[in-house]
Amino acid sequence: MKKVISLIICGVLILGLVGCGEEKPSIKVYNAGEYIDTSLISDFERENDCRVIYETFDSNESMYTKVMSGEKYDVIIPSDYMIERLIKEGFLQEIDKTQISNYEKLIPGILSKDFDPENKYAVPYFWGSVGILYDKTVVSEEDINAGWEILKNPKYKDDIYMYDSERDSFMIALKALGYSLNTDDKSELDKAYEWLVEQNEIMNPVYVGDEVIDNMISGNKSIAIVYSGDAAYIMSENENLEYFEPEEGTNIWVDGMVVTKDCADVELSHKFIDFMLDAENAFKNSEAVGYTSSVQEVFEEVRDTIYNDNSAYVPRQGGAKDEYFRYQDAETKKYCAELWTKVKSQ
Amino acid sequence: MKYFKNLVKPYVLWSSVMIIIPLFVMLLYAVTNSGNSLVNIQFTFENFKRFAEPVYLNVFVKSLKLGIITVAICLVVGYTLAYIIAQFKERTQTVLILLVTIPMWINMLLRTYAWISILSDNGIINTFLEKLGLSPISMMYTDFAVMIGQICDFLPYMIIPIHTSLSKMDKSYTEAAYDLGANPVQTFFKVTFKLSIPGVLNGVIMVFLLSISTFVIPKLLGGGQYVLMGNLIENQFISVGDWNFGSAISILLASIILLAIRWMKKIDTGENSQK
Repeated sequence: MKKVISLIICGVLILGLVGCGEEKPSIKVYNAGEYIDTSLISDFERENDCRVIYETFDSNESMYTKVMSGEKYDVIIPSDYMIERLIKEGFLQEIDKTQISNYEKLIPGILSKDFDPENKYAVPYFWGSVGILYDKTVVSEEDINAGWEILKNPKYKDDIYMYDSERDSFMIALKALGYSLNTDDKSELDKAYEWLVEQNEIMNPVYVGDEVIDNMISGNKSIAIVYSGDAAYIMSENENLEYFEPEEGTNIWVDGMVVTKDCADVELSHKFIDFMLDAENAFKNSEAVGYTSSVQEVFEEVRDTIYNDNSAYVPRQGGAKDEYFRYQDAETKKYCAELWTKVKSQ
Repeated sequence: MKYFKNLVKPYVLWSSVMIIIPLFVMLLYAVTNSGNSLVNIQFTFENFKRFAEPVYLNVFVKSLKLGIITVAICLVVGYTLAYIIAQFKERTQTVLILLVTIPMWINMLLRTYAWISILSDNGIINTFLEKLGLSPISMMYTDFAVMIGQICDFLPYMIIPIHTSLSKMDKSYTEAAYDLGANPVQTFFKVTFKLSIPGVLNGVIMVFLLSISTFVIPKLLGGGQYVLMGNLIENQFISVGDWNFGSAISILLASIILLAIRWMKKIDTGENSQK
């Protein structure tokens, strides 16, 4: 019996070693959930005879926690403020633009933003805004024009999905109160906290994540806070819906592809980034997820064809009160996190 | 016998590496406040004090309430089922217990997602109601949804231990009770139920433990605003990144569970010594 077992173990070990010998080059990509046309990954693998280990996260914060606890990735696709944090903490390496042949095709308007002023570390992947998705048949024009205050209009009690994200929720409250979304003034944050608590009490909203997509498509509630790209996709499935960016200003964001400092295969990682910017691939990707492409010609093409007449596909550019998120210092971050936990636990 | 004692060693090693050391690290996190890296250690009880804020205490009360209600409903439903199962022939019993355990072969997450499609505003129940011409009921993101999800997931943990102690029971005890003139109700409470108490306690402990620490079910069926102890811990670790506070809550939760188990074990031994 013992002999049989040891033979089996030997066999398994040998098989394992043989497997190792044939190993293809591989990269590990870490992206937000539901944020890629997955067929592109297999296309890339076929084209470059490599393996892509693809993992997803549900928020920038959980991505950060995982990366900090020692998990290694080659390419990560976080949002602007998180990229800034990763840059500041020395976690990223500079992008070698000579290896990215499609770099010239990027939309100039979304480059050189404050989080990466010289475009050294990040290559834009998708961009967009945060806004209110609402049901035209239920919500009146007058009500929606009130902007963020509609989220406290008792008429729509029990009819709201909020986004279960600390920064986005605080952004709404801060903008509704006329403050900057990057404030570190505690009295302003306290007021935003009160705004959110009050909203929670009056409106009884449900805080959800990606479930909002399915729920809005089936028309379960008539108002939801969503990213423009999700809105574009949802609107293409449910024609009663419309997307609105309040006058008080909102958050405009760019998600970028970055290469980590301890990246194992820098060349292949750059190839992957370049691959995602290739016009044909970027088109497929944008079409599948609904988010606004960072490549100029693709952006225009999708805007004029698939998402024609879809206001959410074209985020507002140059709005005076719109802002990008910036890096929050540790103290502000901790303060907000605690307030946010309290808002939800009410 | 010595030979067998040696077999325990790998397990002891495994559990000390995988359980004792992490527990110790958690304790260390809970009593320090130097962030997640544990480089400069400063001891403090700040993290425990923070939990005393009304908001967090409310979360605790809510979890406890939900846990107790879940246990109570599981106990009534589970006991009834276990009792009925125990009345059948042994062969049939095996099949019935198998039926009880079959849902456990399916991942808990999938079972919870199934509840979403049953309960949601455009789900199976509401579509049915609509067909009948009734107005739809909003069931998702309520206490009801969380409760029903929990009860369905945890019920087998109640049924199995109760069934085990019921089926091991000697039938002659109940026969004796009848012979001595007890009616069915008296027989049940004075004989059958008393003898099955060890099983009941095991079931209660398991379901209580699972329901007070759960976080996936409230998150999916209750929405992001449905914060229980488990969600609070998950938030601290995953999105907030405050591992110190998260560990402090975990330690508190673990001690509560330990106390509850001790208390119930005491009831058990108390019952035994009465006999």
